[in-house]
Amino acid sequence: MHFEWTDEEVAFRQRLRAFLAATLPDDWERFSQHGPASPALTEYARDFCGTLAREGMLTPHWPKEIGGDGLDPWHQTILAEEMWVAGEPRGGQYMNVNWIGPTLIRYGSPAQREQYLPPIVEGRALWCQGFSEPGAGSDLASLRTRAVLDGDNYRVTGQKIWTSYAGLADTCFLVCRTSDDRKRGISILLVPMDTPGITVRQIPSLIGEGDIHEVFFDDMVVPVGARLGEEGEAWSIIAYSLTNERLGIPRYALARAALDRAVELLRGQGDWVGEAIRIEAAQCLALCEAARMASYAIVSARARGEAVGAESSSARFATIMAERRVAEFVVEYLPDALADAHPYLKMHHQRGIVAGIAAGAAEIQLNIIASDVLKLPREPR
Amino acid sequence: MDLALTADQIAILDALDSLAKSYASPTLHDTSLALVSETLDRELAENGFLDVAFDPDLGVVTAALVVERLARLPFAVEAAASALVRPLFGPERARPVCLVEAGRASRPIRFLAAGATVIVVGQDRVTSFVAQADQVRSEETLFAYPMGRLLVDPATVAGTAHDVSPDDVKTRWRIAIAAEAAGLLAAALGSVTAYVTDRQQFGRPLATFQALRHRLAEAQVRTNGLYWLAMKAAATLDPGDAALAALHAQESVRTCVYDFHQFLGAMGMTLEHPLHLWTYRLKALASDLDGRGGQALAAAEAAWG
Repeated sequence: MHFEWTDEEVAFRQRLRAFLAATLPDDWERFSQHGPASPALTEYARDFCGTLAREGMLTPHWPKEIGGDGLDPWHQTILAEEMWVAGEPRGGQYMNVNWIGPTLIRYGSPAQREQYLPPIVEGRALWCQGFSEPGAGSDLASLRTRAVLDGDNYRVTGQKIWTSYAGLADTCFLVCRTSDDRKRGISILLVPMDTPGITVRQIPSLIGEGDIHEVFFDDMVVPVGARLGEEGEAWSIIAYSLTNERLGIPRYALARAALDRAVELLRGQGDWVGEAIRIEAAQCLALCEAARMASYAIVSARARGEAVGAESSSARFATIMAERRVAEFVVEYLPDALADAHPYLKMHHQRGIVAGIAAGAAEIQLNIIASDVLKLPREPR
Repeated sequence: MDLALTADQIAILDALDSLAKSYASPTLHDTSLALVSETLDRELAENGFLDVAFDPDLGVVTAALVVERLARLPFAVEAAASALVRPLFGPERARPVCLVEAGRASRPIRFLAAGATVIVVGQDRVTSFVAQADQVRSEETLFAYPMGRLLVDPATVAGTAHDVSPDDVKTRWRIAIAAEAAGLLAAALGSVTAYVTDRQQFGRPLATFQALRHRLAEAQVRTNGLYWLAMKAAATLDPGDAALAALHAQESVRTCVYDFHQFLGAMGMTLEHPLHLWTYRLKALASDLDGRGGQALAAAEAAWG
């Protein structure tokens, strides 16, 4: 076991920090409150990601032949930590580099890779994730949006809900039903969002402006060539995608940064006194660092080329615990943060509620740990 | 960063598992609350498992791994202080090694017996002495360690003053708490998962009820996080890392132990199931160095001043 960063990794992190310091506008912290899916941040992210791409820091962990530097998962982690701590100036494009791109690299046809990967690598693509439906949230296999084969096309009818980034996305990673088989009847279509038959409605949310939506598909027609992988192969592709997504966001790093900021503010206003507040802050810190180390253990396994499975759910739940405890700390000791007094803490609080819900609810993570890590017999269905 | 075990660490843990195999499933009838084995203790010492930290090529992380692995045994073995704290004082110190906070020396002390090395950690200095028969008495407690009580005030004992910082000793002590608690939690969790998998109620295994599954999964998350915090602290020897690891350990005692017994139902109140051999050791670790509050204040001080 070696816990030290290499000199090269330290330099990579410093380079990212220098880039962020030089690139982000002076009023970034207030600006970032718009939320990663807001029109303002989405527009900013296109510029930012383009610059990041030209600096070679948008997809450094991707293979060289697809626009990356072939760097290992540690670099992906460092990149994600620095961006997330900075308030995620990549906006929704973080999804592209974390899991959409890697999924396309692994499962995409040559034509799909040629069409979709260059815009991601150049920082000008925005995707949305068409997973949840009104009757299929955690129980994704109950989804009912149906794609019916009609000659060389699929005709798609149905509804998605709580879809992040749909309002401004170029393309949807759409999961839909192609047969009645519960899991083997699900397929993935890559759908341009300007396809006739799509209607998007924004849902007001606690997360921030423009983040979640309803998406309606009314007899939308897409060519068979838009299908990712084989018909009915979606479940294994989704499993691969979610494993990437669950570790893709280092929320523990933002929670730690928010905690540090909260302590700094409390000290500044003379409230960092007494044992109670210090004990509570340290409890938050322990959860943040436990989540960080659990996540690093997964990254380390990946860096060695080992398959990572249910252990990532353990790291993810540890992160949820940290995220919530820090948010509660701020609510208790710095209630002004939920007003406009402390933009960074407000941003953390808004985004923190997502941790236990998106990419598989917290309870799903616990189910996975129970069945696949602890090897407990499954619940009867 | 590479968090895989090194080849040396794998070899040591394999050898340790081989030695410990015959101690993994003892007969529980007629045992006291604490289970000890002089043979096991002697074999561990003779084979050098408690001395790995003296070898710079193996270091403190390997010692922490040994402590974590040994804690999984139902037998209480004085490994944590010997393997992780004793290296500050030299290999010649007699075992068992007992750690005592000055000012709290009247409490029951793990493994205290005549011949033990008692290390007394004060505010400004660290002293030690070898306990004499008339200075100690063994004590029956609910903790699943052999416990003893000092009959003398250590301040009045003519011991050895050490050129070792009290803070350095506390850092090692906290790593010892964390590494041992990680193994105890892992073993306790394993024994509970086995029980609820076998035990049928309402026509199906208890383990199929989500009310239990989720709390056991949360215990796994805590145990996993603790393992990594302990190993990181062993690697860095940073006081803040050590305090965080010990804090997470003692907090996990609070959140996990009663759940574990609860899930065993009435069996969790008996001595017929070995669960108490891990959980009642965890309870003993919960009060070390001022407990959760003490670790939290130390962690806060290290992080933010």
